[in-house]
Amino acid sequence: MWDRRDPERLEQRIRLERDGTVTALSGKIDFGQGLRTAFAQIVADELDVPIERVQVVLGDTDQVPFDFGTFGSHSVAQEAPLLRKAAAFARRQLIDRASAKLGLSEDKLDTAAGAVVGGGKSVSYGELLDSEPLAGVVPDRVALMPETRRTYSGKPTPHLEARDIVTGRATFVADVRLPGMARGAMVRPPARGAKLRSVDDAAARKMPGVIAVVRQGDVVGVVAERDEQARAAAAAVEADWHALPVEGPTAEVTMRSDPEVDAGLRGAAMRLTQTYVLPPIANAPIGPSAAVADVRSDGATMYVGTHRPFGVREQIAKTVGLPEKKVRVLPQITSGTYGRNSHADAAIEAAILSKGAGRPVLLQWTREEEFAWSPSRPEAVLEVAAGLGADGRIVAWRYDEHTNVHTAAGLDPEVLGVTSGRNALPPYAGFPVRVILHIEPTRLRTANFRSLAAAENVFAIESFMDELAVLSEQDPLAFRLRHIADERFRRVVERVAERSGWKERPGSRRGRGIACTVYHDTYVAQVAEVEVSLSGAVRLVKVWCVVDPGQTVNPEGVRNQIEGGIQQSASWALKEELVHRDGRVMNTGWDTYPIATFRDAPESIEVLVEGDESAPPTGVGEPGAVPTAAAIANAVFAASGARLRSVPLTRERVRKAMPG
Amino acid sequence: MKLALTVNGERRDVDVPPNTSLLSVLRDDLGLTGTRYGCGRGQCGACYVLADDRAVASCLLTADQAARMAITTVEGLADGAKLHPVQQAFVDGDALQCGYCTSGMVISAVALLAHDPEPDETSIRDALAGNLCRCGVYGRAIRAIGRVAGSS
Repeated sequence: MWDRRDPERLEQRIRLERDGTVTALSGKIDFGQGLRTAFAQIVADELDVPIERVQVVLGDTDQVPFDFGTFGSHSVAQEAPLLRKAAAFARRQLIDRASAKLGLSEDKLDTAAGAVVGGGKSVSYGELLDSEPLAGVVPDRVALMPETRRTYSGKPTPHLEARDIVTGRATFVADVRLPGMARGAMVRPPARGAKLRSVDDAAARKMPGVIAVVRQGDVVGVVAERDEQARAAAAAVEADWHALPVEGPTAEVTMRSDPEVDAGLRGAAMRLTQTYVLPPIANAPIGPSAAVADVRSDGATMYVGTHRPFGVREQIAKTVGLPEKKVRVLPQITSGTYGRNSHADAAIEAAILSKGAGRPVLLQWTREEEFAWSPSRPEAVLEVAAGLGADGRIVAWRYDEHTNVHTAAGLDPEVLGVTSGRNALPPYAGFPVRVILHIEPTRLRTANFRSLAAAENVFAIESFMDELAVLSEQDPLAFRLRHIADERFRRVVERVAERSGWKERPGSRRGRGIACTVYHDTYVAQVAEVEVSLSGAVRLVKVWCVVDPGQTVNPEGVRNQIEGGIQQSASWALKEELVHRDGRVMNTGWDTYPIATFRDAPESIEVLVEGDESAPPTGVGEPGAVPTAAAIANAVFAASGARLRSVPLTRERVRKAMPG
Repeated sequence: MKLALTVNGERRDVDVPPNTSLLSVLRDDLGLTGTRYGCGRGQCGACYVLADDRAVASCLLTADQAARMAITTVEGLADGAKLHPVQQAFVDGDALQCGYCTSGMVISAVALLAHDPEPDETSIRDALAGNLCRCGVYGRAIRAIGRVAGSS
């Protein structure tokens, strides 16, 4: 299912319009990571048209080829070659047509700025459309444009949508306006998993503007003419809930077990065992979930924010009792959600309300609902033990991970290995390793958080590597390099040390920490510099990062993504903690769930994009966020001697951990 | 209740229930959806508008309070096709990712520069401290605003 692929058809990828504009189609979704821009660059280059003439349609289920979903930072890697080939195939067809039209052989023809040219003649792409659209199965082998003729790929290109965004014209999900559209508001249970016993909606129905009170199963909501009216009426609905505690399952997966681990630990010259703890945190998008549903007896149209439009289509079809073909899902741009949009909660609720009320409905979740009901990242406990030989090299490594980052993903060991087990294996070489994943019960609903468990695992692994270096009196950088076999990995680590001036001593109360990882074949190394006050307050001063994401389509887009990942991850590490009791999230707003603000942003985040151009492109949406917590915690140790094995690195915690 | 608002230099008449927020009137009655809902409590800055040249949370202002002020939304900043210098600086500096918080940031920056044409970095951070961004473009936004200040 992850790799379901129908044959690539040109008409599902590239559409040429009579006016010479080009529409590129993809099932992938852009939620701020710059895919639309990267795809436009590729198609403009391969089809030889100015980028202004390329529009990119993402995720419209009536138009684009099937796609399983946008996650794991795979999008450019998966889609770039397909779009490139399709565009190259389109260009070849246009040259064929021009050859017939102009009576010139193909080898006399070339393309330039949206036209086929040759023999002193020029014919625009639009003129070559005739009655036949470009179509056909894209062959496996198509001659691509030589790299020297690429105008846009590999060049810094700002977001195509930037102008619409800064002028407020961009249409986010909650900005969709349909004729006759009403507003929805949900009635919420006291805790996750509660069952609805009964509803008394007599008072709510009489309130101003109310169109309907809708119930389907355990879902109850109000539809009214105005937003405030729907919310007031929802608050007036008397619902009786039966609380049923839900808890995620338990399981155990051995991800790797080399035979010599126990003997290695026993015979080691030095041994260290530590436990690292991370609290639950929230995706916390600035825009809470929203959806617009227009459900009629003969079909439904859904305006949603989603990472998986075809999955939403299936869910909506089931929810409202229509065949999938009758449901059209039109993804809109959304607030960045970092994983949360894999779940179509708001869309399902809006569809139920629209069907029940017989009107198109916009459902906008509140900030409080977003914290309470959206999936989050759960607590994680990481136990690490290692032994060092007399020469200071690691001789054995044991790792036990306790978490469940995806309560709905099931218990297939392979799936668990790539979700909760992501980056649990150390990226270092030369010693036997045992890694066991313990799927722990959690009362939280967890799913699809940025990088899944990688950020947690890398916090533990990279903090522990630092502790091993300190224990054996080695430089943390040199210690890591002794255990790196992969040349690309070595290069990013060495480069970040050079850029940051690793050997220099920062000022008093300041310290630097290093952390690095390989995330889905993207190599990333970071150095953080912090200042720790005597009271334990941590200020992030600077971050240096070197990233190798293989071949790079849009270096500026990569930098922006990596910077953002670092900034967000610094916020997780320094500030964030979700509090839950009996299955209910207690954080209700930004006052009870503070995140980094403009005042907390470091003086600089220097990102060097040094992609190995001979390697295929890999993702950058997630990797930037992965090593940051460890880099900061290691810097806090360097600055103050306080070794923090729990995040967030609050003032109280740091002060308590400070020596003497 | 019937109200006459001044929004982006134009008189706009609306008829809304008492205590309707300015945010709701902008988005639902006037079609100005560039001002975004983020928290409804004045904690995130996504719904900032200029009220008599000061950046305020439109979710905390009622429509009848707003009727006594000149309101400017993000849609009212550009001069035809010519972007406001702050908007242009955000585009040029790629100082956005998902863009949800951008309207509010641009409004705060315009308000800042109206009162302090050459703010230092600390002033920029302070003036935008109420604008939360989750994608993490703070550094780019600070530099973009700094460039506008430097060029004026």
